[in-house]
Amino acid sequence: MLSYLAKRLTLSLIVVALVLLLLFGMLYMIPGNPAILALGTRATPEAIAEYSARMRLDEPVVMQFLIFVGNAFHGDLGTDVFSGRPVTEVIGERVGFSMALIFSGMGWAILLGIPLGCLAAVRPNSWIDRVTGVFSVGTIAIPSFLVSIWAILIFAIQLGWLPAIGAGEPGDIGDQLSHLILPAFAIGLGWVGYLARMVRASMLEVLSEPYIRSARAFGLPPRKVTGYALQVAILPTITVIGMGFGGLISAAVFAEIIFARPGVGKMIFDAVSDRNFPILQGGVLLATGFYILVVLLSDLLIAWFDPRVRQSL
Amino acid sequence: MKRTMTTRRTFLASSAAISATGFVLGSANMLRAQEGKVLNLRLDGDNQILDPGYMVGGTEIEAQKQCLPFLAEYVRDGDAFTWQPTSYVTRLEYVDDTHIEFELTPSLMWSNGYGTLKASDVAYSYDRMKESEWSGYFDALDRVEVTGELTGTLVLSSPFAPFIMVTLCHGPGAIVCEQAVKDAGGRFTTEFPAVCGPYTYSATPGQRAVFDPNPEWTGPAPGFERVVLQVITEVQAAELAFEAGEVDCTELGPDALARYTQNPPENTAVTTAGELQYMWMGMNTEHPKLQDIRVRQAIQHAVDVDSIIAGAYANTSSKSNGIICPGLIGHRSEASYSYDPERARALLTEAGVDSLQVTLRTQNWQERLLAAQIIQANLAAVGIEVEILPMESGPFWEMGMEEAGDTWQELELWLMRFATVPDPYEATQWFISEQVGVWNWERWTDEEFDRLYQEGQAETDPDARAEIYTRMQQIMDDTGAYVWINHEPEVYAHRTDISIDAAPSGELNYRNFAQV
Repeated sequence: MLSYLAKRLTLSLIVVALVLLLLFGMLYMIPGNPAILALGTRATPEAIAEYSARMRLDEPVVMQFLIFVGNAFHGDLGTDVFSGRPVTEVIGERVGFSMALIFSGMGWAILLGIPLGCLAAVRPNSWIDRVTGVFSVGTIAIPSFLVSIWAILIFAIQLGWLPAIGAGEPGDIGDQLSHLILPAFAIGLGWVGYLARMVRASMLEVLSEPYIRSARAFGLPPRKVTGYALQVAILPTITVIGMGFGGLISAAVFAEIIFARPGVGKMIFDAVSDRNFPILQGGVLLATGFYILVVLLSDLLIAWFDPRVRQSL
Repeated sequence: MKRTMTTRRTFLASSAAISATGFVLGSANMLRAQEGKVLNLRLDGDNQILDPGYMVGGTEIEAQKQCLPFLAEYVRDGDAFTWQPTSYVTRLEYVDDTHIEFELTPSLMWSNGYGTLKASDVAYSYDRMKESEWSGYFDALDRVEVTGELTGTLVLSSPFAPFIMVTLCHGPGAIVCEQAVKDAGGRFTTEFPAVCGPYTYSATPGQRAVFDPNPEWTGPAPGFERVVLQVITEVQAAELAFEAGEVDCTELGPDALARYTQNPPENTAVTTAGELQYMWMGMNTEHPKLQDIRVRQAIQHAVDVDSIIAGAYANTSSKSNGIICPGLIGHRSEASYSYDPERARALLTEAGVDSLQVTLRTQNWQERLLAAQIIQANLAAVGIEVEILPMESGPFWEMGMEEAGDTWQELELWLMRFATVPDPYEATQWFISEQVGVWNWERWTDEEFDRLYQEGQAETDPDARAEIYTRMQQIMDDTGAYVWINHEPEVYAHRTDISIDAAPSGELNYRNFAQV
């Protein structure tokens, strides 16, 4: 297990390095002078020169990469070119909001999607299976930004039940939770259908296995049999959920923009528009690290659930 | 001692419980706009640098207007814009073409124990601006002479009529506290080292900026005790927030403006701040396909601007007849050419052109692309085939610059929009001879235009200035290199029980908002 962990961590470091290298290369392929974009079209030559020096744009790309990696190892991700604040501080202010949104969005999708999939599988071709099927396909097909807009129109504007924008009053947990409901609903809805479809398909396959037939033949209660089947059927879903958590950091961008919430996804989006390279690099580094971490955790979780995988590590 | 064992079952149960807490409904007492004397507004992004010398602009100027002194402010005079002294001065006047005397209002206090506002603060602020990233606004200023604790004279190096409108009323005209800025190391970013205005300022990055009452302020009281600005980057999201009652005032995009004009939400008024943007279709006079002025004139006559304004802008912007925007000295009511496809065909025939193919470059924005498609159809009707090339901001804004590569040589047609300040001189500066290859992408030169540009700055008589700028626009028409499109307005939706104050360029002045 320890050697497996060490291998995965080494691999993760290589992935992070490759992502950063790719990012640095892509930054140089983005057309347009970043200084003009950042300072405006009427910036003076002196301001452009000063900005370029501040962003180290006048140094070779390899040198910029090495400086960034070297500093990152010491926890220094550079400074925001506009405000001069440390990038770690800027990210730190936003990462909590992103995590709250991602975990609540995926959380409610798991809570609803997995039971729905199980129900559909244990009663195949029943009305509940058909309704789940239609619901799943429908929610998967609707883009989250559309769900966001409709959620605001219905629940905030028409009904006035929930707040439309922002993250809530700082320090007021109740207010912050009420501001989380609509964005979490918007980014989680598609996942409800997706998880339900996955679990249903997986469960149907497992429920037709000989050992499940044997369990039934021995007279085990149906609920217990379903529980045993779910333990096996859930394994591919865990992998997908792990990758889904990683992907949600970028999927949340729409929700963060439409609901005007602070977050890492929107921060990265703004940094691309503003050509704010230090923030962009720091944000991508965080997103990559988060993705690697959740995929690693999901792999470990599968090993914990499945003795066959555990023994093969 | 009882030991707790973690099993798969308890793990799943715990995970479910933790996730469920994310869905606990919060307090039902949601914040709503207009509670008490709180004004809720939109901020289109974090204020990054509040220092007037190094700011980006936009809402940073709005923050400065609440917390820092200014000598002059914009005021609307009918359909035109002019200036008036602020409450920070008891006197501000030209004593001759190059001397502006001022006297500060006594006993206005800086916060954080920095004493009263003094004439030396004005001198320090403007001397500092001459060395800053916004130094261009102070090119005309030679020096500030301090003649007393509260009095001084702004000495211009040569007559410059728009100095008060362009510099003193605008963001760069903000006055900072000399000692506080020195104590802060000479520059500041996200906090004011000292304020002298009705509000103090604080911000939570990515979320909000808050203007709280300044207990040391002895000047005119603002209409609202507190102003809270939510960071909402997208204008469409801000419109939704307005309709949900979470902000009291927001900028409107063209689509929403058309909708609000026809069917406004309840308790909603719409106010136009100004129309200080001018959009045109430019033509490269040096390009082989467009070197013949008859071809350019044919294109001028072939484009139906009215249909662009109706189709792409839902009739929410006014038709342009030149670079001088509505409300400014020299604004024209008509251009010297008109939509006339027959005349366009005749000019093309006269020029011996029977199959012309040109490329029209535009930024990849919805309205611009629609405008480009209408132009494409208009030109097709007279036998000119247009290929539309949508572009991202980065490459678009440098395609005509010689120092940025060779794209300027390939430029044929493009859709361009500039913003300006409430004085005509600013819009004309981009088209003088020395701007060829910088911002004059049409690449023409004219000695009379260059001379009039200088004369327009020095002339103080409004009628004479109007004549100068009208003539300059006529010269531009005569190059055949321009099809004037529109002046997009800065428009705000707000509650009917609130009166708003917006500068012609769109910046809001919260201290002058009031409940009516």
